[in-house]
Amino acid sequence: MESGKPLLEVRNLNSVFPSNGKIVRAVSDVSFALAEGQILGVVGESGCGKSTLLLSLLRLIRYPGRVESGEMLFREKNIIELSDREMRDLRGKEISMIFQDPLSTLNPAFTVGEQIRESLRLHNIVSSNKLPWPFDGLRRAQEKERVLQIMNEVGIPSPMDRYASYPHQFSGGMQQRTLIAIALACSPALLLADEPTTALDVTIQAQILNLMKRINEDRGTAIILVTHDLGLASEFCDRIAVMYAGRFVEQGTVDEIVENPQHPYTQGLLNCRPRIGERDQTIRPIPGNVPSLANLPNGCAFAPRCSYVKEVCETGPVPMFETDPGHLNRCLITSEYRRQPDWDWGVVVGRERA
Amino acid sequence: MRSIKILERVLATIPIMFGVAIIVFFFIRLTPGDPVDIMMGQGGAISAGELDRLREEFHLNEPLHIQLWYFLRDAARGDLGYSYVLKQPVTSLIAERLPATIELAVGALLFSLVIALPIGVISAVRQNSWLDRLSMSTAFLGISMPGFWLGIILILLFSVQLRWLPVQGRISLGTGFQERTGYFVLDSLLTGNFAALKSSLLHLVLPSITLGAPVAAVIARVLRSSMLETLRSDYVTLARSKGVAESWVVIKHALRNAMIPTITVVGLQVGILLGGNMVIETVFGWPGLGRMVVKAIFDRDFPLIQGTVMIYAFTFVMANLIVDVLYTYLNPRIRMQ
Amino acid sequence: METGPDIRSALQDQIYIWRIRLELWWGNFKNFLRELSAHPLAMVGGVVLVLYLLSALFADQITVHNPIQGNLRLRHIAPVWQAGDWTYPLGTDSQGRDLLTRIVYGARISLIVGFLSVGISVIVGVLLGTLAGYFGGRFDSLVSRLADLLLAFPFLIFAIGVMAFLGPGFTNLILALTFKGWVEFFRLVRGEMLAEKTKEYVEAARVTGQGHLAIIMKEILPNIIQSVFVLGTLRMGYMIITEASLSFLGLGLPPNIPAWGSMVATGRDSILVAWWVSTFPGLAILFLVMAINLFGEGLRDILDPRLKLEG
Repeated sequence: MESGKPLLEVRNLNSVFPSNGKIVRAVSDVSFALAEGQILGVVGESGCGKSTLLLSLLRLIRYPGRVESGEMLFREKNIIELSDREMRDLRGKEISMIFQDPLSTLNPAFTVGEQIRESLRLHNIVSSNKLPWPFDGLRRAQEKERVLQIMNEVGIPSPMDRYASYPHQFSGGMQQRTLIAIALACSPALLLADEPTTALDVTIQAQILNLMKRINEDRGTAIILVTHDLGLASEFCDRIAVMYAGRFVEQGTVDEIVENPQHPYTQGLLNCRPRIGERDQTIRPIPGNVPSLANLPNGCAFAPRCSYVKEVCETGPVPMFETDPGHLNRCLITSEYRRQPDWDWGVVVGRERA
Repeated sequence: MRSIKILERVLATIPIMFGVAIIVFFFIRLTPGDPVDIMMGQGGAISAGELDRLREEFHLNEPLHIQLWYFLRDAARGDLGYSYVLKQPVTSLIAERLPATIELAVGALLFSLVIALPIGVISAVRQNSWLDRLSMSTAFLGISMPGFWLGIILILLFSVQLRWLPVQGRISLGTGFQERTGYFVLDSLLTGNFAALKSSLLHLVLPSITLGAPVAAVIARVLRSSMLETLRSDYVTLARSKGVAESWVVIKHALRNAMIPTITVVGLQVGILLGGNMVIETVFGWPGLGRMVVKAIFDRDFPLIQGTVMIYAFTFVMANLIVDVLYTYLNPRIRMQ
Repeated sequence: METGPDIRSALQDQIYIWRIRLELWWGNFKNFLRELSAHPLAMVGGVVLVLYLLSALFADQITVHNPIQGNLRLRHIAPVWQAGDWTYPLGTDSQGRDLLTRIVYGARISLIVGFLSVGISVIVGVLLGTLAGYFGGRFDSLVSRLADLLLAFPFLIFAIGVMAFLGPGFTNLILALTFKGWVEFFRLVRGEMLAEKTKEYVEAARVTGQGHLAIIMKEILPNIIQSVFVLGTLRMGYMIITEASLSFLGLGLPPNIPAWGSMVATGRDSILVAWWVSTFPGLAILFLVMAINLFGEGLRDILDPRLKLEG
């Protein structure tokens, strides 16, 4: 890991939604650190709280949802304690977000050019000359020029002609490039990407990922990529966090996660994945279903589906264990096994559930 | 692209107008017996000499399709017939009363928009707050209330009990009012007569509220439900993630899109405004088209009824045309197809 | 003797079939009531509507006064909390008739007009909409054109225009309300027909060799009828208000018949001395229409949430 203070450090973050008298724990006890220019992949099944995690970072969880507790230190300032005004200055300027479904995310009533320009205007990027309409012609022209540059940078062909187009006139790939352009307009230090390629064709997916990778390399923008696709994350990211039922269950570098998965859920995810070029294609799905976030078990949330489960797993909350430097694992059994591999684990590990 | 779309829409109203005229033509066929005899029966309002002119006017001796042809031809020339009760051409009678009706309609529309837009927006932003519940209950009352009764209750409260507002008419006597255009508010301003301005505005208050209330109720309800939808949309989250201030998120991003379905409903409400017009003018003694036509019905003044109903229908068609053009303007998806 | 057992068993079969049917309907009805209980406001609306229906039905038993013949010496008696006379709880009008009696009888007019005008509009609209939507062709374009033309008239204006030429009277009133009333049901059913007839289940029925009539009656209409029911309920309040407006203008029923609209109109002349004569019939309209709308909106939420709010 790089030295110095991280760009973003999240400690024990909890986000909740009250729903029908119950509390849905969408994000529980999430901690991680992200260095400048680093790419973190957050991998998990749909409904595991990944999107809520990203929205929590921008304090955009929809009411009545809220961040219950925890710290989110961005450049050593706690996001939770910022005033609304400071928070707005942060959004779009320091931290930007790319959403899953580009068509529904772009405002159908405004041209794409205007939507990109809005970010520039809000944060006074091009000029801080605050003359109101209609005396802002010069500023508007400068901003438009900058928008055209950005559109060019994200690979929207002939930006001059496309500036006045409406979102529905764009293809899915172009819409996603527009969203990226909006996110990049103010050169943020951190980009939050919520399944940015899920709604796109495979070939377009690759283009968008390449674009994001290039932005990361050229500008040093740190990225948090949320995805359900472990394969995609392992190609794109520096570090991976595996999320299950609102918690991070395993965290480490890509190599550690892929080569040496420790948490039974991560192992399960890797087994679900078809591997190109291998003869043995037995896909072993994880048995059972994702638990409801409103009704989580007391102990390990994965216990009901886990083949290593022991009684101790269900007694109480399971902490994160640092099994190797920088490799975190939220599993009592496999963490203990790593510490004392010569102990007679064969008796316990792999025993059939009663 | 856009102007072609609009031109198409304008041209499409022409056959509708024709159809409307044809339906109005057939209205007179609904009367049991000879319409001229019925008109004759109105206490000697029509002289024997006029009877022949009347028969000729309706071309009652000609076959039906010839009668229709005459009717359409005259209507296209702007000739809607002759009122034998008021001894004037229908067109000039309508032109005389139109300003009063338009003034009232504008007042009602302004009232309903001024009330409904903020209420619809705020109720959606503060969903389930006491304000939301109160205004939605009131709106529900508004759509269930007969307009004439609301007018009477308002008169009872504000004119009879509190004596704040006048009961009837458009202006008080003794203000030295001089009529120029027929729009009393405008005329008072033109002549610089502020006593008349105050009086004509006060006279407008209760009728405008009564006529506008059901319209306001519907607009507020529709705007609220479409605002709830747009406020939940992804593009509103995107706007927030850009750092747009919440008030701008609501006005620029959510309201702009919520106006698209709302504007269609506003167009339909013009029908309610026009229909309510007859009733409300009767309640408030407002000397406009509505009161004229109600009186014409009792006078069996058939040409006047036909002409006025046709004008109402044309106005409704035009209002919907304007709404469609606005809709095309507001909704880029339609505009660019 | 030969045919006896056959008839008996056929009869028993029929009884059996009907018992099963009734049980199914009863079950559906209970389900509906259960869903309705989740919408308390709709329940309130339903209960109030039933109260109105009962008082209209038993108007003769409820009141002792004559709704048409009054006693001029007893005119303008104030309601009980002002006059203290329980004989006339809501007071009397300018002809000395008991206001409550007239309001109760007025419920008959409003409810009959509401049910009848909506009922006829539904029948005409569903029939034409089904034929137009299912078969299309020249008939469809003809009726659709007519519907478009009628839509160019505001509803109340059209009704007033028709009444002006037909003259007052019950049949004319129903005619005036239904001349344009069927259009909305026509458009709803036609649109749904167009959408439904291309769906797989209709295709499947066609493949199994069912005739058009069977496909329409057994396959498609049951899927549409709920929306029609919801729209019908929501339109009924509007019909009642329209009838009241016509009666208020003196264009509805003959003046001596106790219709709420004309009661408000006559009360208006004596508003300075007897505020109650206009107020209570109006309240009767307001509560009835509110009850119907509450019930209708609850019905819409349960049966057909796609129908959005409109006029």
